[in-house]
Amino acid sequence: MPVLEVRDLRVRYNNTGPEILRGLDFSVEASDFCAVIGPSGAGKSTLIRCINRLVEPSGGSITLFGEDMLALNARDLRRMRRRIGMIFQEFNLVNRMSVMDNVLSGRLGYTGSLRSVFRLFPREDVEKALELLARVGLSDHVNKRADALSGGQRQRVGIARALMQQPDLLLLDEPTSALDPKISRDVMSLIRDLAREFDVPVLCNIHDVQLATEFCNRIIGLQDGIKKFDGPTETMQKANMEEIYAMEVL
Amino acid sequence: MSSQDMNTPRPAAPPQWTRFPFPETLIRYSALLGVLVFLAWSVHFLNLDLQRVLGAFPRLGAILADRYFPPELGFILDQRFLMSVLNTIQMSILGGAFGVLLAIPLAWFASHNVTLHRWIFYPFGRLSIMGCRAIHETIWTILFVTVIGFGMFAGVLALTMFCIGFAGKLFSDEIEAIDMKPVEALRSTGAGPLQVFVFGVLPQVKIAFVGISIYTWDVAFRAATVVGFFGGGGMGWYLQRATYELQSTRVAAILLTIIALVSISEVVSGWLRQRLAGERLA
Repeated sequence: MPVLEVRDLRVRYNNTGPEILRGLDFSVEASDFCAVIGPSGAGKSTLIRCINRLVEPSGGSITLFGEDMLALNARDLRRMRRRIGMIFQEFNLVNRMSVMDNVLSGRLGYTGSLRSVFRLFPREDVEKALELLARVGLSDHVNKRADALSGGQRQRVGIARALMQQPDLLLLDEPTSALDPKISRDVMSLIRDLAREFDVPVLCNIHDVQLATEFCNRIIGLQDGIKKFDGPTETMQKANMEEIYAMEVL
Repeated sequence: MSSQDMNTPRPAAPPQWTRFPFPETLIRYSALLGVLVFLAWSVHFLNLDLQRVLGAFPRLGAILADRYFPPELGFILDQRFLMSVLNTIQMSILGGAFGVLLAIPLAWFASHNVTLHRWIFYPFGRLSIMGCRAIHETIWTILFVTVIGFGMFAGVLALTMFCIGFAGKLFSDEIEAIDMKPVEALRSTGAGPLQVFVFGVLPQVKIAFVGISIYTWDVAFRAATVVGFFGGGGMGWYLQRATYELQSTRVAAILLTIIALVSISEVVSGWLRQRLAGERLA
């Protein structure tokens, strides 16, 4: 049974505007590291934000871990979001907060309001955070402010924060496009290794096709809100690629 | 023309461009002219006599020299007056502190990007802050004096309302200008609205808030000197009495005290905020 099942997903940001996603169907299996590729403006970011409802779909259905995402009320949605880790293109860290606090903020969904106001995270969360920071190679930077780190290091903080949630699904929104090619590759392989280690399925937006074929076992090609390709990485041909990127205007 | 030229696509005709497009330029300058004409008409309506304007300053000087000089500096050392100065300072600190504390949650509600609820809390926060701002601090004083009588308590409440309006507006402007990316990330972890505020919003606005709070106190202190005039406690009371009893030299002394204290508060708040500005860039 798939972890995530999306049916006829439609999004428009306002009633008169254009449809950004125009009826998408796909599913993600427990073992998938699934890439979503496509030109700028194809709807990749919108798609990934629909899964945890940072963007509200205007039609269709999303079934995650067997639950209908679109039927959840605010409280249940927050409970569901705890199980979905997300890693962002621009890291989305709180710059004025320490690396440690940024990583611990991944536990907020599990922490009571009063505790979190005083930043009193349980002992085991603190230990887990230190462990993860060691795992991503940032043990020396625990108390630094997030904006004191380099791009690659910041994204590692983002990865640690997502894993703090002990997620059952990882959403990646262009995790490497703010990084240089060498560090992009490092970050992708770190994510792949950790996803394997913690046995988490991944849905990953990525515009770099080279990286997608290198790290992902499955590829979904998106063009102008419509799915143009869906299959294992090795079945993607040059012709598929050309179709996906056919509309790109230089 | 060679055949090769025929094959390359012909460049489109160069687009027309002018610095002064026809209807827009005319409208813009007409509007500007309209505003200037209105201003000129308003000045004319005031019936300003240049002679009187120019004469005002020498006459002001003469009156100050005749009636207000020399200031009764001895009064400044009057025990009760000194006490009232202390009270004024206390009032400004209390009013500022209460006002700032109440303004923070209201500013949170009144910020469109992170408010608890766009149709309930947002209008509530906006209206509260607007209401506090809409009514001048002297009117607040008169209202509270009417309800709870003369004295510092009325003055502190009036200053609190004033500070809610003043700080609340600046706070919510600051919150609305934050970077929303960390907020998005925190929401995606399943954090609730209070947690998003504490972790995503406060760290971004903390230093600005401290700066605004100092500024609020500075402004509250200036307002506190006047609040007493209407019965709200503090040195303003002595100013009122001296004015009504036509003790002009005493009025002069009190005014000099106010000017000195306001200058000091401005220097102090300016110095503190400048130190913060360095922090803010770091």
